[in-house]
Amino acid sequence: MDNKIKELRQTQNLTQQQLADKVGVRRETIVFLEQGKYNPSLKLASDVAKALGSHVEAVFYLDK
Amino acid sequence: MIGRAEWFSRRKYGGWGLSVKTWQGWLYVIAVGGISFALLNVPFISESVRMPLTYGWLAIACLDILHIMATLKKDEMEVRIEALAERNASWAMIGALVIGVAYQTAQTAVSGNQQIDMFLIATLVAGVVAKAITNLWLERKGI
Repeated sequence: MDNKIKELRQTQNLTQQQLADKVGVRRETIVFLEQGKYNPSLKLASDVAKALGSHVEAVFYLDK
Repeated sequence: MIGRAEWFSRRKYGGWGLSVKTWQGWLYVIAVGGISFALLNVPFISESVRMPLTYGWLAIACLDILHIMATLKKDEMEVRIEALAERNASWAMIGALVIGVAYQTAQTAVSGNQQIDMFLIATLVAGVVAKAITNLWLERKGI
């Protein structure tokens, strides 16, 4: 699964730590999410999307 | 409770328990150790009081550490990593226990004397029971 977290985060001038604090996870988790190395649960995906002012389907997508 | 979860992190590379994360955590460790040392060495405490006082203090410290471990905040990825690490650790321990029981069984067969350590068997049985209860609980609860 791929995502646009980094792109959206940078658009909003958020650091990884700031996004992590908004979502309530460690910065390392955001790093792994951005790199596509970690597939989040629907709850975490939804929280990340909400923190970025977006929707899950706009942030996460299947890489074909 | 005395200590706070935010002063510590989950121990990852040196066994189980806590790792100190902040200076408050170090202060806590020094305070717990210092009080224990003082209780054991201060001369003006009578010997009849010393041991109950020390054990009482250590019991409080243990409960506090357990409370810190229970309230330690972990995010989703950490929980998954920890679950896999604990699973692998339990498999390694099961392997060592089974090898131990097999070795002792072979020794018993060769020598004719009962040499099987019942604690090894009890540990394996405890693992089986814990696994069964966890499966039953989680399947009913719906994780």
